[in-house]
Amino acid sequence: MDGFTLVLWGVRLLFLLLLYLFLARVIRALLRDLRAAARETVDRPGRLVVLESPGGEPAVGRSFGLDVITPLGRDVNNAIVIDDQFASAEHAVLTYRGRSWYLEDLGSTNGSYINGQPIDGVAALGYGDEVQIGQVRFRLERTRT
Amino acid sequence: MLGPAGSNRPIGPTTIHVAILLSVAFAILAGAAGYWGVVRSQELARSPDDAAVIAAARTVPRGRILDRDGTVLARNEADENGELFRVYISATVSQVVGYASRIYGRAGLERTYDAELTGLAGDPLTDAFAKFGAERYDPKDLTLSLSYDLQKAAIAALGKQRGAVVMLDPRTGEVLALASTPTYAASKLADPATAAATFEALRDNPAQPLLPRATLGRYVPGSVFKIVTAIAGLGSGAVTPETTYPEQPRAERGGLLVEGFRVRDGHHPETGSEALDFVGATEVSCNLWYALTGIETGGEALVDYARRMGFGAPIPFDLPTAVSQVTNGNGTDPGGFVDDVELANAAYGQAETFVTPLQMALVAATVANDGELMQPRLVTAMTGKNGTRAIGAESMGRVLSGADARAISEAMVQAVEGRLGRRFTSGATVAGVTVAGKSGTAELGGSGEPHSWFIGFAPAEEPEVVIAVLVEQAGRGGEVAAPIAGQLMTHWLRGGG
Amino acid sequence: MTVGAPSAQPVAPSLPRVLGQIHPRPRWQELRLLVLVAVALAIGSVSLGAVRTGTFGLYDPWGLGIYLGALFASHVAQVLAGRRTDQILLPTVAMLGGLSLLLMERLPQELVVQRFFGTAFGLAEVQLIWLVGAIVVATTLGIVVRSDSWLRRYKYTWAAVGVGLLLLTFVLGSEINGQRLTLQIGPIAGQPSELLKVILVVFLAGYLSENRALLVEQDTRVGPLRLPPLPYLAPMVAMWAIALGIVVVQRDLGAALLFFGVFLALLYAATGRVSLVIIGMILFLLGSAAMANLFAHIQTRIAIWIDPFADPLGAGYQVIQALHAFARGGLLGMGLGGGLPEIAGRPPIPEIHTDFPLAALGEELGIIGVVAILGFYLVIIQRGLRIGVAAADDFRSLLAIGLALVIGIQAFIIAAGNLKVLPLTGVTLPFISYGGSSLLANALVVGLLLALSDKGVEPPPPPQSLSRWRRLTRRGAA
Repeated sequence: MDGFTLVLWGVRLLFLLLLYLFLARVIRALLRDLRAAARETVDRPGRLVVLESPGGEPAVGRSFGLDVITPLGRDVNNAIVIDDQFASAEHAVLTYRGRSWYLEDLGSTNGSYINGQPIDGVAALGYGDEVQIGQVRFRLERTRT
Repeated sequence: MLGPAGSNRPIGPTTIHVAILLSVAFAILAGAAGYWGVVRSQELARSPDDAAVIAAARTVPRGRILDRDGTVLARNEADENGELFRVYISATVSQVVGYASRIYGRAGLERTYDAELTGLAGDPLTDAFAKFGAERYDPKDLTLSLSYDLQKAAIAALGKQRGAVVMLDPRTGEVLALASTPTYAASKLADPATAAATFEALRDNPAQPLLPRATLGRYVPGSVFKIVTAIAGLGSGAVTPETTYPEQPRAERGGLLVEGFRVRDGHHPETGSEALDFVGATEVSCNLWYALTGIETGGEALVDYARRMGFGAPIPFDLPTAVSQVTNGNGTDPGGFVDDVELANAAYGQAETFVTPLQMALVAATVANDGELMQPRLVTAMTGKNGTRAIGAESMGRVLSGADARAISEAMVQAVEGRLGRRFTSGATVAGVTVAGKSGTAELGGSGEPHSWFIGFAPAEEPEVVIAVLVEQAGRGGEVAAPIAGQLMTHWLRGGG
Repeated sequence: MTVGAPSAQPVAPSLPRVLGQIHPRPRWQELRLLVLVAVALAIGSVSLGAVRTGTFGLYDPWGLGIYLGALFASHVAQVLAGRRTDQILLPTVAMLGGLSLLLMERLPQELVVQRFFGTAFGLAEVQLIWLVGAIVVATTLGIVVRSDSWLRRYKYTWAAVGVGLLLLTFVLGSEINGQRLTLQIGPIAGQPSELLKVILVVFLAGYLSENRALLVEQDTRVGPLRLPPLPYLAPMVAMWAIALGIVVVQRDLGAALLFFGVFLALLYAATGRVSLVIIGMILFLLGSAAMANLFAHIQTRIAIWIDPFADPLGAGYQVIQALHAFARGGLLGMGLGGGLPEIAGRPPIPEIHTDFPLAALGEELGIIGVVAILGFYLVIIQRGLRIGVAAADDFRSLLAIGLALVIGIQAFIIAAGNLKVLPLTGVTLPFISYGGSSLLANALVVGLLLALSDKGVEPPPPPQSLSRWRRLTRRGAA
């Protein structure tokens, strides 16, 4: 086997090797991404901590674990029951979709607020943001693991 | 929160199922790629249908094909474009060597050993390296056990008749001659200039010159099949050489009643009144003794002994072979016979029994080689760049004991050399040598002449050559096939050596 | 970490506003992977060149240069756009496209000759033009698309466009090899089914995201199966009818298989209901059986699949030659340019550049190479599904999952056809097969996936399904 053939051999094997090197790199990146996502999934869903509650129901300092969909309102069917005269029966819904939280006002009389701003329909919010329903204020927090 | 958990459950888990399903599907693809590319790789890449093999055929010189004495049977010539085509020594070897035509593909050894002749085949490791190399092809020269001299003689002996001759060395399985007539000019098929006209003429010829009768022709065997019955009967212990049947002499006149059907015989005026033993029955070719032996032996043992000699499946050989059969196997009796009538008729080679001349040569070879059958073969060596590789003899196993084989051999000697045998089987003798053999006259049921058969070997004491001769619709075996056998065995033992 | 605004001073008065909006964001991962792609393709090109020319050097350096240039231009454009989009998709697709380019360069160039502006272009040149076009399409979509409302809102319009395309192909399409796949309008010829698959996914994502909750309801029982309200099964029946229609009208088994496969997988992803999938499969099997009885060409296809060796020089020829190609390739392959023996100047498989590129690559790169290629497709599928799972709402999720499935299932169908795992159908191998329609449609898919992978954009519209669910539960509670 002459030199040309040997080098050609090497080049061909190197090409196959590079294909796999690329594949290995890509898969490593995928796994890293999946691990990061897995950590995030553990963090999710977050929790709502009551900051201010004039009526005492819910009590200040209480923490509600959140589902993917958490309805809030005065009606007892809500996941978080807000006993406040300015809250509607079905006031708002907090949803976790993808990687973001959204607050949707369900046409309440007095509206819902994020960081003091009234929302129009639906609005995104992040950890640390404050949600106000009637006179009750909450803060969205990351669940500790 | 039961409702919402159901209707708005996250899409994640189901997506993971989808991902798993797709991964499995792709794993199946990888498995399939491995199957075709590794498991079936050697077989497919060497097949004559492979594009690389076809492409190489145009440019790479094929290996030559030589006979046992070094005579070149197949070589290459270049046409005006520099593309190569095959030239063959003569039409006598066409049914063995076959042809390699650019247009009509390959046949015979040219097909079986296409990859080796082209030089594509090697061991897998060499292949893997050769793929990347510039010198990809290593065509091999094939050396055959065939004797061109004997082959020519066999074709000449058959003359204008349709038939086949198989001659082999029973000790090694080496095929010495494998003649089929009519034959054809393979060179004209391989030459691009004459290929088309030649092929059309051959295809339309009613004598079917392209058919290798020795390996692919299936014929009613007639009395030569009695040797198979003898092997099964003695081998299974159902009969001994001393076995006689008291009802046989009477049946010579009135016929033998088997399940209401009369098996008739009656051409033994001199022995008609005696109850014959094995040797006597073989000498005069007594159908009734063999019919009774067949029933005594039973269908199962008969079929089983035949199978040990290659019946019921293609014979492992360098050329494609037709399957020889004892019975259709449609019946419910042991061995697949319909009833004892069929068994009785099959025992002396009529009924639904069909054989190839090569198969009958193997039957004779079994007896000649003391009961052990050697696998027939044509290619004895391959010569490439890296030297010559010899291909050794292989056994197909012991069929029956040496004592039984010798008993049959003695009976076959009597059938050729005995007082009465000489009359039936004139001309199979070789001067100065004892010949063992059995002739056959295969009735075809219609008005046509019977097939003429002879199988045998010589010298009977230390057999060196086995022969099977078939001549289509030529008359009595003893009168047509036997003289051809005698002449060819003489040629081999005296002249060819 | 943040990179400052571009330091270049505005040259024209209108530019500052444009440049002011540019917030470049580095994409190191993508760059690293693209460099690896470039090195691999260069080595591949040398390997091909050594066989072709007998010396070690790049084979067709201009072609490779243009291709890699387009890739890096795409990378720079995405860096400048500053979006947080996926960084793995583009390099993976680029690797497949590069393999396609190398393959087209080594096939006989006369297989395809097209004239643009009076100049004749051969197979590799035409493919290069389409590849660059595909990169442009994918990059543009990945940068520009920030809202999905144009897809979300008009799903029925899209469905109508799709059906219209189908009908148009039926009426105006030209018939090739008994298949009515190509639509020619003026100088532009294309295969609408390639575009149709994207439209289908958009429609299905819209429909399923809206009716997910209802499809999960189980109020109809058929034997052991619990089904959603019957009216909601209508689209399934419609899909079934469309798939069969494609078989009847276009004689395109592959597209029918692809559409129905994507539909069932997406239906399962959306609802998690195995019963729906089983019903779908039963419908498909019944339909297939009926089709096989009605049409001879389908019977032929199936007969070839079961035993191609029955007619090695006729019907089974292509399939057998493909298997031979894999067999010749073996584990390590013959090397680029080393395989595919030409008989009288033609490759052994006539449709090698469209229907059998995997067989060609299998011969030259071996099983090792084929497995790597299959791995690349799995990576693309994984990225698509991942983008789908992380998407902000159901529509985006299902859209991304559907787009990934389109690529994955299509690659599976044709690869399986090449390997005799399924009957051979005439779909293309995404990113590798020759063909403008196929490359551009798949670029559309990649571009949309890139856009969907960016979560920092427009929030999805209010979840209507939620209000609908509330109405349902209230009814249930009452």
